Amino acid sequence: MKEAIGLTIPKVCGMGLHFELDGFRLIYLAVAVLMWSVSGVFSLEYMAHYKKKGQYYLFFWATFFATAGVFLSADFYTTFIFFEIMSFTSYVWVAFDEKKESLRAAQTYLAVAVIGGMVMLMGMFLLYDLCGTLRFDELKTAAGEILSGSKRVRLYAAGGLLLFGFGAKAGCFPLHIWLPKAHPVAPAPASALLSGILTKTGIFGIIVVSFGLFGADRAWGFFIACLGLITMFLGALLALFSVNLKRTLACSSVSQIGFILTGIGMGCLLQAAGEDNSLAVRGAFLHMVNHSLFKLVLFLCAAAVYMNLHELELNKIRGFGRKKPALMFCFLMGAFGISGMPLWSGYISKTLLHESIVEYAQAIQGLKMAGTAIPGILGNPVFWHGAEWVFLISGGMTAAYMLKLFIALFVERGLDYQNGAYMKMTSGAVLTAAAAVILLFGMTPHRFMDRMADMAQEFFGKTGHAHIIHYFSAGNLKGGAISLGIGAVLYVFFVRRWMMKEGQYVDRWPSWLDLENLLYRPVLQVALPGICGAVCGFVDRYLVSSLVTVFLTVSAVLCRGMDQMADGIIRAARFSTHSQIPRAGGMKEKRGKRTGALGKWNVSLARTKERIQRNGRMVEESFSFGLMLFAIGLCLTLGYLLLVFWMQAKYT
Amino acid sequence: MGGMIMAVPVLLPLAGGAGMLALHFQSEEKRDDRLLEFLTEGLVFVNSLVIFWLLKNRMGASLVLFRLFGNLTVRFKLDPMGGIFAGLIAFLWPLAVLYSFEYMKHENRKRMFFAYYVMTYGVTAGIALAGNLVTMYLCYEMLTLVTFPLVLFPMTKEAKRASRRYLYYSIGGAAFAFIGLVFVLSYSVTGNTEFIPGGILIPEAANAHRNLLLFVYVLAFFGFGVKAALFPLHGWLPKAAVAPTPVTALLHAVAVVKSGAFAILRFTYFSYGAWFLQGTWAQWAVMTGALLTIGYGSTMAVREIHWKRRLAYSTISNLSYILFGAALMSPLGLAAALCHLVIHAFMKICSFFCAGSVMHQTGKTQVYELDGLGRKLPVVFGCFTIASLSLMGIPLFGGFISKWNLAEAAFSCGSSTGAWLPYAGVGVILYSALMTGIYMLSVAVRAYFPVLAAGAGAKQETDSKKTTQEEYRDPGWMMLVPLVIFAAVILLLGIRPGPLMELLTGIGGEAG
Repeated sequence: MKEAIGLTIPKVCGMGLHFELDGFRLIYLAVAVLMWSVSGVFSLEYMAHYKKKGQYYLFFWATFFATAGVFLSADFYTTFIFFEIMSFTSYVWVAFDEKKESLRAAQTYLAVAVIGGMVMLMGMFLLYDLCGTLRFDELKTAAGEILSGSKRVRLYAAGGLLLFGFGAKAGCFPLHIWLPKAHPVAPAPASALLSGILTKTGIFGIIVVSFGLFGADRAWGFFIACLGLITMFLGALLALFSVNLKRTLACSSVSQIGFILTGIGMGCLLQAAGEDNSLAVRGAFLHMVNHSLFKLVLFLCAAAVYMNLHELELNKIRGFGRKKPALMFCFLMGAFGISGMPLWSGYISKTLLHESIVEYAQAIQGLKMAGTAIPGILGNPVFWHGAEWVFLISGGMTAAYMLKLFIALFVERGLDYQNGAYMKMTSGAVLTAAAAVILLFGMTPHRFMDRMADMAQEFFGKTGHAHIIHYFSAGNLKGGAISLGIGAVLYVFFVRRWMMKEGQYVDRWPSWLDLENLLYRPVLQVALPGICGAVCGFVDRYLVSSLVTVFLTVSAVLCRGMDQMADGIIRAARFSTHSQIPRAGGMKEKRGKRTGALGKWNVSLARTKERIQRNGRMVEESFSFGLMLFAIGLCLTLGYLLLVFWMQAKYT
Repeated sequence: MGGMIMAVPVLLPLAGGAGMLALHFQSEEKRDDRLLEFLTEGLVFVNSLVIFWLLKNRMGASLVLFRLFGNLTVRFKLDPMGGIFAGLIAFLWPLAVLYSFEYMKHENRKRMFFAYYVMTYGVTAGIALAGNLVTMYLCYEMLTLVTFPLVLFPMTKEAKRASRRYLYYSIGGAAFAFIGLVFVLSYSVTGNTEFIPGGILIPEAANAHRNLLLFVYVLAFFGFGVKAALFPLHGWLPKAAVAPTPVTALLHAVAVVKSGAFAILRFTYFSYGAWFLQGTWAQWAVMTGALLTIGYGSTMAVREIHWKRRLAYSTISNLSYILFGAALMSPLGLAAALCHLVIHAFMKICSFFCAGSVMHQTGKTQVYELDGLGRKLPVVFGCFTIASLSLMGIPLFGGFISKWNLAEAAFSCGSSTGAWLPYAGVGVILYSALMTGIYMLSVAVRAYFPVLAAGAGAKQETDSKKTTQEEYRDPGWMMLVPLVIFAAVILLLGIRPGPLMELLTGIGGEAG
């Protein structure tokens, strides 16, 4: 594809949507279509017995559109909109089973998605404030200017926040916590998508941030590479310990994301060192595509297991795959691919990534020779040799846990399972076809994988053709062999010896060592609402209400005081100037005497007269009383005025 | 006098409401109920039509109703900003009345309820259309008095206490606002309290007594802030959630509280003028108040388990978004504040009506009782989910637009004044969004994915559960129609906010 196609829909959702279709996006759109159609076909069988099929398919396809929107987006605003929609629609997948674990996992997933989204939004605000645009193509120049200016730190902050948001979705350490929980509980075809492609939307964002904003920034590249190495290693370790089929695959996803991140980081670093970064960039991209395919195949294999047994524990499903050649073929394709076996596609991308680390180690040697050594740990060749070994060991662990799964499923004898139809023809056919692609890509790397990389690399800011790489040269094969050797050794000595007890797989991972339960949940559930809530509750209950009480009390006392004062004046007036006029008390005595024809009438007349007289007296009295009060007020006012005048006269 | 039509939206409901109070029905029969409903809806509907007609044809018109003394007149004027508020209430009121017919079906003393409900319409329209500070202040005080009986309506001990508290807080707040009124009057260019974009203070005189005027501004901000439930003067709002849902939804989520926010916007941008306040300590003081309230309200909402009170706390937090926009003292800030004023009205009335519908259908008021209701009242909870997502600020829904604008305004304010507080404000908004996620989504999640159903998924278990639990249904059309309309508006504003934003930016540009 030579020219990118752009599409702008102005004013929708405020700032308008911007889409673009270039080589990278075209390939990823194709991957998405492939994955959704394969797992869609598989879902037909998998979901056949569920009641809420309609709900499942609604969110299944809604997520497809949202994911496609993310991959096609050409500015962060659009990315964010579709990213959030995707998070919420895929949430329903995780919670779909409505079991206790799935609800808990869904809670975790939602929390990570919401927090990630908020942090990302903050990053976007910062970026928009800094650069005045969110379009990928315009950001590059704007960010370049800022990076050389004084607002550098702010750009790092914005990038870091965006990385947090995207990294949470990608499953990058330390935000990977949702993957091992959410993937096993979702319906398996949905897990394939969660793991295979939803994580890639996070990677998509990280690529844009890394190559679109920072490009040749050394510190950023180093940061991403380190994150990648940690994620890669820890994910593989978690997977090795896991005794649940889908959980192993989910942890494996974390690890593979680490590989991709390392590639991205190396790309930035190589660019910063002035070298050609095509190895790293192509490796990262190809590993993305490969990982999507592997996880599609492997999770659908797991789906086949779960459809029949409703179990995923390794001890309970062992031996299920015996005498099921089609399933074994598919699983093997995925396993060989992900372990980096030569002739399968994973080998190609891993070789590229491996070479990029080696290349950087050489590059800093070269720089040292030239006298422009990079200071600090970054310029230390020992660190990069260490990184290379982390890479190889992680690859080895990948091989080891895949071997563990394979032996448990297809070699060991377990319960006797009925060897009948375990999946429908259509499901089997699409699965096998997807698995065959891995082999096809791996056997003919130049025909497919190099061309895909050529198409996609423009997205990473690279143009031109890379030199032809001899994937199957002795040097490259050596790297793969070391990795696989480590894997075999690990399996024999570690898995068979230590992680099995009386022929059963045991979970040796210390159960307290769970980042989510150890750190995130306490902080989010207890510390944050607890402390803030306690503060607010305290303020509400004591501070505000006591302020109100104090105010009311003070004003009540004041009012009563004024009341008393007024009463006092009245009383004083009664005693002195307005001493009480004795009540006309003749009425009662008179009433008895006056009797006659008009008696009743007379009485009432007399009473009226009485009342009028009394009222008159009262008016008179109160009038004079009012006059007196007025006089007092006047005196006070005059006194005050005099005081003011006196003060003015004195002080001016 | 052709101009008199300006006063119709204010006077017609007042007269109508008073008439309804005076009118005696022979008995509380069904036929009388119908008549009452017909009268009320007709009155409100006609009034809304008049407002819309005015908005379309008489923009900029003004009317002096009468002269108090001197320069002080009761004057109505239709400018774009008042028009926004007037249009908003004109849209919401007929729907809310429709909703309350069904909600109040089984209540006694409907006549009194509807009479005051209608009168409130007139008074709120008065605030929206007020052409000067005096008129607005008068309507503002009157609003307290006509809504007081509505809070009192259930006549329980709790309601009495709540209404008394409401009265104290509101009248006390208005007293502070009155100080502001007096100062504006004495420093005004025009000698009266006219609303003019950019304020009416005499620059020289005002600058001479700068600190005094700023102090008075802070006083008035917090005074008007009582109705907008500004911390620490918010105490009345969660308590007032005892009132019937149509009251809490329309009055305590829109009309009354938005009147407070609207008054602050008017006072800030049309009496004082943003130029006077930009970058002063008063700006930071009121902004701090607003930010504290945002954090406080959303945190308290998480702690609250009574559904309507939770929404009331959410209102507290969201109103301060508007006040935060007001406190930015920039054209963008005013536009963002108005945007949130409009969009929050729809979101909150929708969520309150959902809560009310559930209460009406099932009698459940606590959040933990809602397990599994999502599938039984699909329309209600569908609308509630839309409102929740919107309140959180998820794209495609209206709330996202207003939060985006608010944050954008905050950033531009931050970079133009060089202060850190607006940036912190964005952080607070995001914290609040997270809390909103917790307190709103936990309700929706509970309704759709009940915790009780742990271990279900197999069909038979859900089947057996169904027989043991009571059957609930969606409410009747009179409740559903408003809900669906509000949810649709939220979506519409989220997807195509263009026209609204253009209008608001116009107002902001004029007044800033």
